[in-house]
Amino acid sequence: MAPVHHFLYLGAFLFSTGLIVIITKRNTIMVLLGLELMLNASNLNLVAFNSLHPGSLQGQMFALFVIVVAVCEAAVGLAIVLRVYRQYRTSVPDHVNELNQ
Amino acid sequence: MTPLDTLQAHSSFFVICLGGALALPLLSFLLCFYVSEKYSWATSVLAPFLMMASTVCAAVVLYQAWNHPAFTWQRVWFSIADHTFTAGIHVNNASALMLFVVTGVSFLVHVYSIGYMAGDTALRRYFAMLGFFTFSMLGIVVSDNLLLIFVFWELVGFSSYMLIGHWNESPAAAEASKRAFIINRVGDAGFLIGLMLVWTHGHTFNIEALRALPLDPAWMTAASLCIFCGVVGKSAQFPLFTWLPDAMEGPTPVSALIHAATMVTAGVFLLGRAHFLFTPAALNVVAITGAITALLGAFAALSQHDIKKVLAYSTMSQLGLMVAAMGAGAPEAALLHLFTHAFFKACLFLSAGSIIHALHQAQHQSHVNFDVQDIRLLGGLRKKLPFTFIMFVVSGSALAGLPLFSGFLSKDAILAALVHWSNTGDAWHWVVLLVVALVSFVTVLYTFRLVWTIFNGEEKSTASLVVSEPPVVMRAPMAVLALASVWIWFSWNPFSFSGWIYNHIGAAKDFHGGFVSMASAAWVLLALAVAYASRGRKLDSRLLAQGFYVDLFSRKAIEQPTLQLADLTHRADKKWIDGFLHATAYAQVIVANLTGWFDRAIVDGFVDGAAGLAKSIGSFTRSFQGGKIQLYIFWAAFAIIIFIIWTLL
Amino acid sequence: MQPYLISLLIFIPLLAAFLGLFLPATSTTSFRTLALTANVLQVIVLVVMLSHFHPGGLQLVELKPWITLNMGSWGVLKASYFVGVDGLSLPLVALAVFVLLVATVSSWKITENVKGYFILLLILNGAIIGSFTALDFLLFYLFFEFMLLPMFFLIAIWGGPRREYASIKFFLYTLLGSVLILIVLIALYVSVQEPSGSAPLVHSFNLLHMADASNFIPHALLDPHHISKLGPLSFRAWAFLLLVIGFGIKLPMVPLHTWLPDAHVEAPTPISVILAALLLKIGGYGLARIAFPIFPEAAIDLGWFVGLLGVISIIYGGLNAMASKDLKRLIAYSSVSHMGFVLLGLSSLTAEGTAGAVYQMFSHGLISAMLFLLAGVLSDRTANRTIAHYSGLATKMPTYTAFVLIAFFASLGLPGFSGFIAEVMIFLGAFKSSSVGGPLHESLAIIATSGLVIGAAYYLWTMQRMFFGVFNLKGQMSPEQLPDLNRREYIMLVPLAVAVLVFGIFPQPVLSIIDPYAQHFAEFVLRSGKSITP
Repeated sequence: MAPVHHFLYLGAFLFSTGLIVIITKRNTIMVLLGLELMLNASNLNLVAFNSLHPGSLQGQMFALFVIVVAVCEAAVGLAIVLRVYRQYRTSVPDHVNELNQ
Repeated sequence: MTPLDTLQAHSSFFVICLGGALALPLLSFLLCFYVSEKYSWATSVLAPFLMMASTVCAAVVLYQAWNHPAFTWQRVWFSIADHTFTAGIHVNNASALMLFVVTGVSFLVHVYSIGYMAGDTALRRYFAMLGFFTFSMLGIVVSDNLLLIFVFWELVGFSSYMLIGHWNESPAAAEASKRAFIINRVGDAGFLIGLMLVWTHGHTFNIEALRALPLDPAWMTAASLCIFCGVVGKSAQFPLFTWLPDAMEGPTPVSALIHAATMVTAGVFLLGRAHFLFTPAALNVVAITGAITALLGAFAALSQHDIKKVLAYSTMSQLGLMVAAMGAGAPEAALLHLFTHAFFKACLFLSAGSIIHALHQAQHQSHVNFDVQDIRLLGGLRKKLPFTFIMFVVSGSALAGLPLFSGFLSKDAILAALVHWSNTGDAWHWVVLLVVALVSFVTVLYTFRLVWTIFNGEEKSTASLVVSEPPVVMRAPMAVLALASVWIWFSWNPFSFSGWIYNHIGAAKDFHGGFVSMASAAWVLLALAVAYASRGRKLDSRLLAQGFYVDLFSRKAIEQPTLQLADLTHRADKKWIDGFLHATAYAQVIVANLTGWFDRAIVDGFVDGAAGLAKSIGSFTRSFQGGKIQLYIFWAAFAIIIFIIWTLL
Repeated sequence: MQPYLISLLIFIPLLAAFLGLFLPATSTTSFRTLALTANVLQVIVLVVMLSHFHPGGLQLVELKPWITLNMGSWGVLKASYFVGVDGLSLPLVALAVFVLLVATVSSWKITENVKGYFILLLILNGAIIGSFTALDFLLFYLFFEFMLLPMFFLIAIWGGPRREYASIKFFLYTLLGSVLILIVLIALYVSVQEPSGSAPLVHSFNLLHMADASNFIPHALLDPHHISKLGPLSFRAWAFLLLVIGFGIKLPMVPLHTWLPDAHVEAPTPISVILAALLLKIGGYGLARIAFPIFPEAAIDLGWFVGLLGVISIIYGGLNAMASKDLKRLIAYSSVSHMGFVLLGLSSLTAEGTAGAVYQMFSHGLISAMLFLLAGVLSDRTANRTIAHYSGLATKMPTYTAFVLIAFFASLGLPGFSGFIAEVMIFLGAFKSSSVGGPLHESLAIIATSGLVIGAAYYLWTMQRMFFGVFNLKGQMSPEQLPDLNRREYIMLVPLAVAVLVFGIFPQPVLSIIDPYAQHFAEFVLRSGKSITP
């Protein structure tokens, strides 16, 4: 079995990638994808740390719970993006700045 | 005696006559203005009539007052604190006689003016001012106090101003009238200082009251010299005489009345009235001034070309004689000369006026134009103007002081007084006597030079003119005055001046000596011979013709600097005072601008800076709230990373 | 009725001004009638006043509490409505009523903004009478300042081409004077108490109390018994000087006079008349009422200085008049010269000098009113007052010339006109001053006589230049523009000429009113001044 820190490196890499995607991508869809990446990175960490405590299931359970929430979030997020696109004919969040004007 | 007592000493008839003599000229003045423009000719009837009435009244006054105790009448004019300023009348022999002479000559001049001024456009003003002049002159004569004399003194100056400038469209007349008044004012300023001195030290202006005061030579010398300044101005003494020749721009009857017979002699009269104030030191000044004036006037008269100017300088010279006699302590002699002079000089002026009038008329008919007053253009008029010639010779003889004429008597009186004075006083008194003798010599020269030039010889410019004698209204007054120029009215004895006037006009001292009379007669006859011998000669001297350049001197040395000073003050006002104000105003504006700048740059800058700081901080923090979600996330992440790094390290 | 006469005189015009606010601005005649009615009523009140007045001290006095403020330990501030007339103020009040009537009549020419004009004129009227009658320093100061604003607007709105400059100059000058007076007002306020003496301390503005040396609070700033010095002079002397400067600006006194020619040249005729005839007199009045009696020892010490300023004014004003090219400017400078006589007379501290000074103010009021009306006649016709542009007017306008002649000779002090009496008495007083312990040296009076000669010179020269010689006009004027006097002008000028003449020949009626005051003034200032001087 691979030592746990390899999973942590992977989690960190994924998290950073997700963060960068969120910050740099202009499209909302891509931002949502970055978000998914970050959630999955945290899931990976949860699962990896759970392996250090054999016999307990909190890590896995929590990861499952996150996946469920992520699915819900993706569904609501995509629906909002769709509505926003209908309304403003754009899916770039910076262009939706009605309050700012 | 209280005023009431003296009133009772004189009959009410006397008082009415005195009042009439004084008031009628004033009435004439008022009525002449009241007459409407259309009937202005009426003034030439009305004014002489009123003046005649006044003369009659004056004659009664003279008759009743002569050798009686002085009539006095006083009323309070106004009072301040416990000092009263009175207005009063004091009629003694001298003033009664003067009253008569003034009204008489004035009446004759009024009558003469009917002819001379006929057709003048401002006849009403002319007669009104003559009336006013007569009134003010009478005021000087009868006033009992110095302040009142000063009042009338100025008023005669005013009427003289109006009458010299009667033809005010002529610039020369306007100039002459102005100068006359201003020069008189210079003398009057001195007079006023004299009044202040008298008031401060004597506490009264009343002449009789002053006479009773204890004498203090210091202030009396000062006061009398100041009063003498007024005399110098009014009686055309050196150095304030230049206005008199200029005053000849006025109508000739005015010259006769004001500038020969009456107003100019007011100074002499005042000297007689206030003679007691004059200390010996002051009298010396008076005598010297008189002598200088007499000398200057006589010589200046020698080389004048204008007939009236000759007479003007001669008047000045005669006034100088009177003043010198006053200075020599002989007021009676001076007053005697004043009275004789009033008649013969008025007659001379009226004769000159008669020539001028006749030639003007002739010029008018034949449309020839030349200066009728210039004696160089005249000659041989004896045949054309025989009556005027006789008048001129008679009055001229009186002026020259030929025996049997009034002038001889009065000049004799002056000479006798001066001889007495020279014998008793310092050596330089002789110089004054010699000067006076020289003057009487020169007087003969210029008088007969005038007679010969005008009436004898060839006719010059007048040859082609048809000249006729002036009307009776002009001839009659001349005849009366000429008649008054013979000795008989003044003294029975043609060689003794101690007649009724001389002996009763004051506290007369009898200086009469046969020697002086004889010497004077011989001296005058000698002069007559010299005059005859030199009748063709001309004395062309610019110095004399210009009256010793005193006029020029006063223009250059007094008038111009005064005007320059006036300009200087005007500029000082504009430049310095206003300039200072404007400078302070500008300084204020500059300071205001500075404080304004300070306000804007520093004070406002501070406030604005604070606001700007808040604003920039705000906009800086605001820049985080750009509504850009990703930026939020970036900063959140960034902050967390910083936080993590900070907690870990 | 009698106790309210002075208040009536003050408040009739103010009431009329108030009524005027409700009249329609378009009705020109109604304002004229209103102003004239007020003036005529004032004349009636004045006649009643004169009949009640007996030569003597203060009369027709009204004393009402006005402001009483308790300021705790600082004492009580007490100002009263205190008015009255005496030999100093009555002639001036009479003059004011008379001249204001003439000024109203001469305002017929005003056509623009008549409403504003007459309302301001009426306010000015009330303020002038108030200044002449107030006996409370604060009340006096109030009226004094109150005159300033109407005058400013009357010059600034209805004036000539340079009116803004002139009005601002006038305003600033006068305001400076007011400030100096205010300083002394405050200093006196803190130094004087009511004579009762008991607690609480009552600070009063009563001028009569201020003139009494015993009413000063011990060791106060201006206490005459403990004189404190500032530099070479005592505080009291400084206060006196401030008052002299403050009132001297109004008088005006050289070198504080330059507002006057400008204001006169620009002001419309009636305002010039009021300015010369009345406002200048308030300067002299203030000196006689306030400066001299309250600071008698300073008046004795510095009287020579005041007299010297008077002599300088006489000569300097005369010389300036001689160099003036504008007729109104000439007359304005002649006013400076004549008001110098007032200074000379007052500072002599003799009965003659004081009476002469008051009489001079009275007489100069009449004469200067006449002179400015005459100058106005010319500027109404041609709007050109340059002396050099006229010549030979005597042939074209004989009646006008006659009046000018009368006015000029009256002004140069010919006997028979009122100015002569005044000037002679001033001369006598000034010369006598040193012999009775007064402050003036004889030489001042002697030097001042040159003013007589200068006066004759500039007037007669003007006469010669403008009226004598051949008729000729320059500067785009035509002879048709110059008709002789019309009836309205005649009606204004005749009473003035008659008054000048009557008061010159019969001065006694006015002098008997002035006399008790003059005696008291000279005697009081000399006595109390001598008692204060250590």
